[in-house]
Amino acid sequence: MKKIALFIVFAFILSSFTADSGYGIKSGEKLVYAGSYNMSGLLTQIAQVTMSTENVTTSKSNYLHLSCELATYTKWDSFFKIRDIYESYVNPTTLKPSLYKRSIDEGGYTIKEKYVFKGTNVKSSVTKKNRPEVHKSFTIGANTQDVISLFYKVRTLDFSKFKTGQTQSMMIVFDEKEIPVTIKFMGKETVSAGNLGKKECYKISIGAKTDALRGKDKNLIWLTADAKKIPALLEFSIPVGTGKLVLTSATGI
Amino acid sequence: MRKLFLILAILFLVLSILFTLLPMGTIAFLPIGLALISSLVLLKKSAENQRRLPNWLLTLSAICSFVVVLKLVFIKDKVEVDKKFEQQKIETKIEAKKELEELENDLE
Repeated sequence: MKKIALFIVFAFILSSFTADSGYGIKSGEKLVYAGSYNMSGLLTQIAQVTMSTENVTTSKSNYLHLSCELATYTKWDSFFKIRDIYESYVNPTTLKPSLYKRSIDEGGYTIKEKYVFKGTNVKSSVTKKNRPEVHKSFTIGANTQDVISLFYKVRTLDFSKFKTGQTQSMMIVFDEKEIPVTIKFMGKETVSAGNLGKKECYKISIGAKTDALRGKDKNLIWLTADAKKIPALLEFSIPVGTGKLVLTSATGI
Repeated sequence: MRKLFLILAILFLVLSILFTLLPMGTIAFLPIGLALISSLVLLKKSAENQRRLPNWLLTLSAICSFVVVLKLVFIKDKVEVDKKFEQQKIETKIEAKKELEELENDLE
């Protein structure tokens, strides 16, 4: 279950293709997904994932707050309750992160994680249940981002210029490590996109050197093939099985 | 051979009941299907005077299947408003704002 929860957020990781579209991420956007686990073609709905954006202003600067919440459906709460929040505070224009926070509560197991980005230096603090807080400092690449901001960054890209099969490598920072990620553009498909109806989408495959993902071209994201590039469907393959996130509602887009 | 299918049918029925009680969705059909198949084979391999138990196993498996269908139709997936979680989100935002201001001061 922990790995499923991890992937549900990790599935949002995407590439460092050069941003070139004029579309920026708007404040006030809310995307709601139904997360389900698949066993031999049979599905069970496990959790709701909510991705939202809002403006945050400090005395000196403006940030875009990107948030991803994961909460198990009420029917699961008695057996295994999950309440996770992944957040990133980014520059509204470049989407470069300044602060990344992760708060995990999975069946009583808790982790609180914080990364403060100062250029290519990251100061992290991690607190796990019944363990003392651990502080670290490490260096990352200039284009390395956290998992949440990368998900939004990819939506500013112009996939219409990509050829089918084209791949791109990049780095993300997760669990205090830089992880290489490979993205493959796999063409277009029409899928259901919740309240948006059926939409033509860009099909993208994600490969990462991590135990969280399994299989070749089995971790897929469908982004609507329009300027907004709303993630309509995500399919993932992890060590404990496969699953998917289906967009149920998109508002404020 | 009959003994083997008897054990399998009982085992899958126990799993079926468990999966039916848990919020497993359509995954519950997996043990239910296996329980039905095992029970049917058991029934076929049983003599006239041995068919009472296979019939019970079949009936219970069918009931499990019916309950799963009812749960799928009538129980809608929803997330409960969790006051503790909502409070945590508010506190995290306040904390983050302070941390961003500290970062801005450090960078100056």
